[in-house]
Order: sequence, then C-alpha cells, then structure tokens
Amino acid sequence: MSSMGTTGFEITVNLIKTVLVFLMMVQAVPILVWLERRGSAFIQNRFGPNRVGPLGLVQLLADAVKFLNKEDFVPDKANRFLFYAAPVFALIPAAIAYMAIPMSVPLIIGDSKFLIQGYEVNVGIVFILGISSLAAYTILMAGWGSGSKFSLMGAMRASAQIISYELALGLSIVGVILMYGTFNLTEMIQQQQGPLHFTGFGYESYIPWLPNWGIFFQPVGAIIFFAAAFAESNRLPFDLAEGEAELVAGFHTEYGGFKMLMFFIGEYGHMMIASGLMTTFFFGGYLIPGLTPNDVYQMGLNWFGSETGANIFNSVAHFLSYNVKFAIFLWIFIHVRWTLPRFRYDQLMDLGWKTMLPWALANTIITAAIIFAANYFVL
Amino acid sequence: MSADAFLFWFLSLLVLVSGLSVVLLTNPVYSALCLAMTMVGVSALFVTLNAYFLAGVQLIVYAGAVMVLFVMVLMLFDLKHETQAFTRGKITGAIKIASVGILAGLVVGAITIGKSLENIKAVADNAQAADTTKILSENLFLKNVFGFEALGVLLLVIAVGTVALSRSKGGTHAK
Repeated sequence: MSSMGTTGFEITVNLIKTVLVFLMMVQAVPILVWLERRGSAFIQNRFGPNRVGPLGLVQLLADAVKFLNKEDFVPDKANRFLFYAAPVFALIPAAIAYMAIPMSVPLIIGDSKFLIQGYEVNVGIVFILGISSLAAYTILMAGWGSGSKFSLMGAMRASAQIISYELALGLSIVGVILMYGTFNLTEMIQQQQGPLHFTGFGYESYIPWLPNWGIFFQPVGAIIFFAAAFAESNRLPFDLAEGEAELVAGFHTEYGGFKMLMFFIGEYGHMMIASGLMTTFFFGGYLIPGLTPNDVYQMGLNWFGSETGANIFNSVAHFLSYNVKFAIFLWIFIHVRWTLPRFRYDQLMDLGWKTMLPWALANTIITAAIIFAANYFVL
Repeated sequence: MSADAFLFWFLSLLVLVSGLSVVLLTNPVYSALCLAMTMVGVSALFVTLNAYFLAGVQLIVYAGAVMVLFVMVLMLFDLKHETQAFTRGKITGAIKIASVGILAGLVVGAITIGKSLENIKAVADNAQAADTTKILSENLFLKNVFGFEALGVLLLVIAVGTVALSRSKGGTHAK
C-alpha cells in the first residue's frame, strides 16, 4: 500500500482522490435506484417512474428532497447513540473497500503518476474482504439499537448469513490467488492481457480470438464468488434479513427518511464492490479485449501527437472499458433481484454450508493440484 | 510531525481508548463493540508496520468473524440483569482489584522490556524488505508445519469437546 504520501502534494492528491471515489460511489446510487425501478417495471411489463423529467430521471432528485424533509424520529425503546451511528457506519466499509479497486491504467502527466483508484493495496483481496466483513456490525448495531424485535431478528438473520457466506466467498477466490500468484489487484489485471493462452505440461497453446480472462481458468470459482456476493450484499434471492412477509423490513424497520437511504447506499456499495471484483478477477478488469494498454497508447499517440494526450486518452479509454463491464454486472444484480424468489432460511443455510463450501474447497484443491502438475510434469 | 508519526499517535490513542472502554463500560454490548474497534485499530497499526497480510487477516478473522459472533450472542441476552451482576458484589470487586494489579504488572513489564526492543527492531527491518506474506507462509507451512497442524487438531478437539459438553445432560436447557 502506498502510505498517506510523503510530500504535501501526494497527501493532497490522495485526499482528493478519496473524496472523489466516495462521491462517485454515492452518485452512482440514484442512477442505480432509477435503473432498478425502471428495470423492474420493464421486467414486470409496467411503466415505472416516468413523470418527473425525461424518462423519470429527475424522480430521484425529488426523492432525495423528500427523504431530507422527513421527520427525524427515534423510537422510544431505541438506544439513541447506536440508532444514529448505524446508518453512518453503513457507508464506511463499502466506501473504503471500493477505493482499493483499480479502475484504469495509471495516468502519467509529466513526472507524476496518478493511480486511477483511491489507493493501491499490496494485499488487495485480503484488504477488501476484511473491510467489507465489517459491514456486519452496522446491521447488528441497527438491529439492536432500534429496540424492536423485528429489527433484532432481521439483524441476526443478516449477520448469520454474512458470516456463513463469507467462507464460500473467501474460498472461491483462493483458486484465483493460486493462479495469479499475487494478492495485488493491478498485477492480476496485468496478467490477463493478450489472447487466451495456457502454459504447462511443457506446452504453450494460444486461442487468438479469446481474451486471457480469469473466467476461462476459474469458471467454478467465478460462479461461487458471484452467488456468495449476492448473499454478502443481502439482496434477493438472499434478502431474508428483510423478508417483508415475516419481518416488516428487517434491521431497518424503525428507520425512515435519510437514515434509511444511507442503508440503501451501503447496500448498493456492496453491490458495486462485488461487481468491481468480478470484473477484476474474472473479466480482465479495465483491459479492453483484443488491445493491450500499449496498443491504446500508440493509438492515442497517432491521434493526438503528444505524449500527454496519449496518456490521458489511454486512461480515459480504459476507465470507460472498466465501467462498461462494471455496469453489466450491476445490471445482472438488478435483473436477478426481479427474477428469482426468496430462499427459505434452511435452504439458504444448506446452500451455503452444504453446497457452496464443498464446491469452493474442491475448486481450491483441484486448482492447486493442476498448477503443481502443470509446473513439474512434462507430457 | 510527519504523516507516519501522526498516524501512529492517532491509532495508538484509538486503540488505547477503545481498549479501556472495553473494561470500563458497564453495558456488555458496548464493551464488545469497543473490542471490535480495538481489533480494527490494531490491524491499522499492523499496516503502519508494513505487515499488510497480518492486518488483513486480523480484520477478517477477529473483527469480521469472531467479534461479530460475540456481539450477536450478547445482543440476545437480557442485559439489565448482566449489567447489575457486573457492577455489584464482593466477587466482582475482587476481580476488579485483581485486574488493576495485572494491568500495573503489564505496564511495568512493558517499560522494562521496552528497553531491550532495539534488537527486535533490527530483525523487523530485515523482514519487511522482502515479501512478508511469502515469508509468513514459508514459516507456517515449511519450517513449522508440525506445530501448525497440531494447533489445527487442537482446535478441532476443542470444537468437538464444546459440542459434546453442551449436549450432555440436555446442555444449557437442562432443568
């Protein structure tokens, strides 16, 4: 991890980047809410919000104003400190973890090199998993602090679910770590450059029409990771924590107005982390299929004729590429939510402990065995 | 004051204050949450010492899993009863005095040992030059693999023993 920075300039840049990435995350939420509402309407053959502004886009601004104007109340039996602290804490783990995901090639202007991410962490995966596992506390704080039984039951369900699926989530990535031999997200992306190629057993084979993405090496890991990520972000089909039929709204039953919106932002933040990690591990991160960053740089050099122009073009192109992949996964999250029904609690635990955990373990062991064999035996 | 020094003092203050609150607060839920805060602070201190992997593992295992379970169980208790039990009585008073004694001993020990820390610092500087994760795994899985596996077996025995104890004679629900 680069530390806070050594000079005043570095510290300032790092601070600005931190604020920028946080704002990016928060600003994406209204768009996602709009997408969710319009998308669900599209799936269910309805219109969705379409009155305020073009395509109903300004609806969210109106919603935000509404949320801010609502009465700020605390239930009688609630614990005031925890009740207010929980929504604020909901934002922190999501924001901090998202900052560690690289979003583009570093921008080089003159002698300075700006990383297009909040900060680079050398043990990226471990850091992100560790930080996002702290999200369980916000749910527990909200559930217990509300002083309501529905809230407490919802919080218990949510945290038990998060702890259970964290195992499968962590184990599904072990195969990826073994394959790339690094914890660093940027190095992982760099290894996914170029056409698909397998090396091992003394051979080297190329498939020129496919990119060298992780999904072709770790399909089982990718599926388990994506499914566990749904459970981690408490979204359908894993949203038993807020099962409306039995628990009103789970851990945020007592919350209203902007405090509830902050839980929303936290949930969408976890969705974004999961999408960003899916992109990074299995779909080449910010890389453009068929082009290496060097190719893009040369293109920029031909078009703009200056190195600065080419560098800016390079970073912007890769940033767009990252966001296209990122948006596709966010859409899958939304589509799944409006397609699948909710699990029963015993089904949820069976899936986590009896299906996903053994498959993830098997994936780890088989990956390790194949990597060992490919390096030491020649056919 | 440099950025690193600022970070160190800030994090130390955080860890000390939240660590003290674990002992001083009467509400067990607050104590557990403060303990979680202490874990997070310690993990951040590991980062400032360049032990990134250890920091991450500390977050995942202690702050993310163990403490969440503690907090979860505590929240299901009737806390008024617990708070009274922990603030009154002669035994509680004796435990408090004993804790103060242990703390005093720890402080004295820390001051005495602190003077001989220069040697350890030199070793740490050597280690951080290389990839610490790799060194750690070589230590665990190659040099000390027997001890590591034995600890694993010990943990398994503890888990089985806990289940067996809680199930015998109807466990906690026995009348």
